[in-house]
Amino acid sequence: MSFTSWQFAIFVAVVFGVYYSPPLRRFQIQLLVFSSLFFYGYGQPGLLPLLAVAVCGTFVFLILALRNRAIWLPSGVVFNLLLLAFFKYKFLFIGADPQDLTGVTPIDLLLKLPLPIGISFFVFHNVSLLVDLTREEARRPSLTDVFLYIVFFPQLVSGPITRAEMFFPQIKPKYVADVPFVEAAKWIVAGYFFKLFVANNLNEMTSYMDFPLYETLRTEDRWLLVFLYSYQIYADFFGYTAIAIGIALLFGFRLPINFDLPYISSAFSEFWTRWHISLSSWLRTYLYIPLGGNRCGAARTNLNLMIVMGLGGLWHGAAISYLVWGLFHGLLLVLERPFLRSLPAFDSAPLRFVRMTFVFLCVSVLWIFFKLPSFDHALSYLAGMFKPGTNPNPPKLFHDLALLYALPVMIQHLGFGSVLQSRLSRWEPYLYGVMAALAYLEAGPDVSFIYFQF
Amino acid sequence: MYRSSISSSEHMGHSGDLRWLVRCASAALLALLVCAIAALRLGGGLELPATTTRDSALLALNRYLREPIPDVVLVGSSLTFRLSEEYFETPRLRNLALAGGSPLTGLEIVAHQSQLPKIILVETNVLSRPADDVLVEKYTRKQQVESLFLRPLRFGVASYENWMHKPASHSKMADALNRLIMQAPSDFDNRTYMERAVSQLDALDPSPAVRMSVEIVRGLIPELEERGAKVFLFELPYIDQVEKTRAATITREIVHAAFPESSRWLPVDVARSDLRWADGVHLDERSALITARSIEKIFAVRSHGG
Repeated sequence: MSFTSWQFAIFVAVVFGVYYSPPLRRFQIQLLVFSSLFFYGYGQPGLLPLLAVAVCGTFVFLILALRNRAIWLPSGVVFNLLLLAFFKYKFLFIGADPQDLTGVTPIDLLLKLPLPIGISFFVFHNVSLLVDLTREEARRPSLTDVFLYIVFFPQLVSGPITRAEMFFPQIKPKYVADVPFVEAAKWIVAGYFFKLFVANNLNEMTSYMDFPLYETLRTEDRWLLVFLYSYQIYADFFGYTAIAIGIALLFGFRLPINFDLPYISSAFSEFWTRWHISLSSWLRTYLYIPLGGNRCGAARTNLNLMIVMGLGGLWHGAAISYLVWGLFHGLLLVLERPFLRSLPAFDSAPLRFVRMTFVFLCVSVLWIFFKLPSFDHALSYLAGMFKPGTNPNPPKLFHDLALLYALPVMIQHLGFGSVLQSRLSRWEPYLYGVMAALAYLEAGPDVSFIYFQF
Repeated sequence: MYRSSISSSEHMGHSGDLRWLVRCASAALLALLVCAIAALRLGGGLELPATTTRDSALLALNRYLREPIPDVVLVGSSLTFRLSEEYFETPRLRNLALAGGSPLTGLEIVAHQSQLPKIILVETNVLSRPADDVLVEKYTRKQQVESLFLRPLRFGVASYENWMHKPASHSKMADALNRLIMQAPSDFDNRTYMERAVSQLDALDPSPAVRMSVEIVRGLIPELEERGAKVFLFELPYIDQVEKTRAATITREIVHAAFPESSRWLPVDVARSDLRWADGVHLDERSALITARSIEKIFAVRSHGG
């Protein structure tokens, strides 16, 4: 069930009504778990048992790890990573042809299962659950609480990846009087606006980046589309996360912020504290620091950065392009490290602007590996950006429409939010009203959220 | 920052929350109301700019339903889509070809209308795709297909684009086209594109799909001709290497076996040496103009009983 469908709106309204009805208050957690399973199974009912195995298996490992952490915590983590590796990377080793099957029915059944939506996210939730709750002498959570943490529908499919230690304290009776309706409405309106108005409309244009259409583009349009895709992927993912945060607030849960104006970053390390924050902090907490972080000398720190970013790239999918994307980001982090300490001495507005432009340029160009998971196509697109196009009839891109659709991202990054909060606060509800109307009136053709594929 | 503007907003209390939400909803409803009224006032004259080839095909379909029935209609795939309406001297001609679509879609949409054009020209090169049922259903409804609301930004951009690129007068357009036709054929090297197209078309056996499409066309022709329209079939020329591919050969054989009578066909009579296919499959602008004029000449003769 997509966040942008009418079915989803009805689903949320019904669940909200039942959730806060006084006679059913005792069953709020059970209701949310049931609703979340319905939400997940609505598109892929066949994968519900797999989700149940993942949650119940993790619960068993959690109980065992609470008794003996040294043995059962690594086992639980390995169980989850194997689950992720099997579904995400099995097609690296087997094809889709029947001859690739084993002839053993249960194994073949598993081999034929498609990639479960959101597996990358719920597996990371599971690992967080095992590590966080066994770190101290924690109270044993109930199976229902564990289910809710992992399958809570606003965050189930594409995050934000919520740390267990942040989520579990929030599991308690909820009252409609405590709901921050205005804050939730702002997140939801902003989310739909960025998804429907910005991302879906820009997608119409960036579809020219796909193979073989990109071969017909003029060189300058290849560059333009790279920047438009940069805006699109931000608007798409920020939109999803904003909707998730807003809806979670309606049910009394506060999810972590996932984006903090990433395109104003003046360093690559800063970019990763502003982009997909919940993933980067997960990788830092559960991978970079256990690997030794920056505590074991410069060479080891650089190696750790490359490992974390490479695995972070592969987390997105089993393709060379994702690995290269992650490794390039790792390399940029490694290269900038020696300069990070000396840069503040030369800090000035023009220099900061140059650094921001450079970071934005590099980040945008690297998105090509996201847009074109075939490595050859990505390289071919990149090569075409540096030589003149030869097609006598290139497609026409309307630059005025491109600017209009990209404008909200630019305005947001220019700090309009703080102006709105201070000097224009009187007009805030009207602005959000117009954004809601525009999201409906000027919505681009429906297309899945980009991060659904991960 | 935007992040903090949302996350740190204080809980205003019930009455404050309610006031905020009412203002927000009122602004949204007012914006929708204004756009609905604007659509009522301006809706008939809207010509939105097309961001994709499919968009402009849909514009052509919208115009077909909105304006008086033309004399001549072309239906086809992206190959026919290249034959712009301006290339024809017949003023009451509409090109309903859909880029990436099937000739059947346009043909079924035309067939479902109460009034028919005098001549319907059906491209037969690409019959391996089924009709787009959603589009046929959408354009089959009696009422005009128009949005309930005006899209304000698109409308603004449309006005700007139309103002910036006013359509040339008929005489100016004719001059530009004549200049184009006088130019030498393009020397663009299309080998890469052509080789890719050949390998793709050689890998295809479109027989079952083409047979199915041919049956539908065969069923529709008598029905349309009974209602007063004249239906002609035509094939657009491919580059020689593409002409010999498996998909093109099979399609041609099936179609000609189904429609053997020469009177049903409009032979496109152009010198191949004068034509170019920039992407290996589709005619370039100049070649499309030459082909359009050739088609026009022949159907002028045929429609007068020649």
